[in-house]
Amino acid sequence: MSTSVKKVYGYLAEFETPSQLWKACEKCRDAGFKKWDAFSSFPVHGLDKAMGCKKSILSYIVFFGGLMGFITGTSLAYITQVEIYPTIVQAKPANIFTIPAFFPIMFELTILFSGFTTLFALLALMGLPRLNHPLFASKQFKRATDDGLFIAIEARDPKFSPEGTKAFLAEIGGTSIELVEDDEK
Amino acid sequence: MGHFVTSADIPVDGEKLTNPLVKLVQLVSGIVAIVGLIIGAIIWFTAPELTKGAYSYSYLFAFSFFLTLALGGCFWTLLHNVTNSGWGTSVRRIFENLGFVFPFMFILLIPFLFPSVQQYLWEWHTIFNTVTAEGTGVSRFDGHLFGYWGNFGNEELHKALFDKHEAILDTKSWYMNPVAWYVRTFFYFGSLGFVIYHMRKLSVRQDTDPNPGVKNLFTARAHASWGLPIFGVALTFWAIDFIKALDYKWFSTMWGVYFFAGCAMSSMAFIILTTIILRKLGHFKKVVTGEHFHLMGKLNFAFVVFWAYVTFSQFFLYWYANITEETTYYLLRNTEGWNVVSIILVLGHFGVPLLALIRQDVKKNMFFMSIITIYLLAIHMLDVYHMIIPERAPSLSIILHMDDIHLWFGQFSVWGLDILAFVTIGAAFLFFYIRNLRSVALYPHRDPRILESANVHN
Repeated sequence: MSTSVKKVYGYLAEFETPSQLWKACEKCRDAGFKKWDAFSSFPVHGLDKAMGCKKSILSYIVFFGGLMGFITGTSLAYITQVEIYPTIVQAKPANIFTIPAFFPIMFELTILFSGFTTLFALLALMGLPRLNHPLFASKQFKRATDDGLFIAIEARDPKFSPEGTKAFLAEIGGTSIELVEDDEK
Repeated sequence: MGHFVTSADIPVDGEKLTNPLVKLVQLVSGIVAIVGLIIGAIIWFTAPELTKGAYSYSYLFAFSFFLTLALGGCFWTLLHNVTNSGWGTSVRRIFENLGFVFPFMFILLIPFLFPSVQQYLWEWHTIFNTVTAEGTGVSRFDGHLFGYWGNFGNEELHKALFDKHEAILDTKSWYMNPVAWYVRTFFYFGSLGFVIYHMRKLSVRQDTDPNPGVKNLFTARAHASWGLPIFGVALTFWAIDFIKALDYKWFSTMWGVYFFAGCAMSSMAFIILTTIILRKLGHFKKVVTGEHFHLMGKLNFAFVVFWAYVTFSQFFLYWYANITEETTYYLLRNTEGWNVVSIILVLGHFGVPLLALIRQDVKKNMFFMSIITIYLLAIHMLDVYHMIIPERAPSLSIILHMDDIHLWFGQFSVWGLDILAFVTIGAAFLFFYIRNLRSVALYPHRDPRILESANVHN
């Protein structure tokens, strides 16, 4: 047995049914916890509202990513094809009215940039990729990807207390309540 | 949350539209439609030929605009059934009621069946009339249903058309001949009318079925699978026969889908607007939530983009290829005053609604959506105007042998005709639409999926 001091990650509690999890989430939200999360292997509709999650800021980032692509596409096509090196095809004009010819480029780059922004901003917001998570120290947590439904309240939360949080999790219907400690020292 | 809609919240006999105000609106619109038709008839029998010709175009414009709404209603009904959807069950009856206006639109189509109206609108009809009248031995209904096969056919007709230097029309006469035109027109309304009548009937039957199982729902799904191709054929060829044929020399492979994109977009805007109004009147309180407005708003947004996609594809290919038969449409519409309308459409039919509808909370907000949908209907009206009306002055000058006809914006008489036709057909449309809404329950309250739809979350 190791004698070194371990950092406490928080409490993990298991729930039997999605409906119990859902109600427990509402109680966690109402108790004012901030640093906590619910785990399920399948989507539970409305859980975000029960957890009190705000709408993600991803859509704003993607909007500006798309706008950036639009501006890139427009200026790329316009500057090269009209300003620097006008290409005359079938005696068609090379000026601002040539813009229909640039629409595909403007469209594609808008899509491409918003696509990339979505992917990378999403990963950044979720803090992925990461090599490990403290909850992996818990043996029962492996079932989170199979049939387990969990709530974990982190020790970082200002409302966390070693006894109070444990009692709270038991009160809202959690079973197999476990104190998870970070493996890393 | 914790307040799911359960069967206890759904009225056993369903919600009916019994509001006296709605009844009054129906009555008034019926009267307005009849008065409008009478004024139209007076114009038709007393006015000079130029006014008659101009009014024919106004009437076609108004008819096409309201037909797009009804066709879109058919589309959403069929699509909802064929995809086995659950989200929209609580608003599905609005799709059905809007779609079921389509068969009634045939009453308003009757004027187009007369050669005296056709002659102003479709030059190829006029050419057939002329050829017949000149005693070339060709009768108006000589072309058989499919004109001719290969080299066999009506030799007199070929000769007469060639004598008029109408080689293009001669080649197209297997499709463009009066017999085939009449048969097709009846087919569109007969077939799609039959489909939408039965789709709505299956849905309404569920309301009083003593054993409300899934039978009606699955029957509707099975029939929607063949109803959808009928819808596609009827819509595409109606648009070709009535609008694209305004210039029979014009080639376009995008026309049907262009017309369809406008149908789907404008009808979804109209459905959202109806839902908002009915909610304001105190209906749908339990079964329609912000989620439904969000879902319908997303579909509306999608078709705003789709409209831009197909419209631009049509323009782009013709702009690049620069082939005479294809560019005629844009030569007329992208020069002089009409170019202003074209540019307004690019920004107003695509740019503005794209940015307005992009946000989630706007789509869930009934106040914003009511403004946006009214705007979309107005801009779609401009789109239909832009399809039909630019053809008016050039065609009339050919048909009436008048040089240089100017029917511009400045001339009030032409504007007045457009507004008259729009009000007449709009009032008739509203009359039939409210009639449909009032005749049955507002939503399928015994549908197996009504609770799924009421609690939808996306």
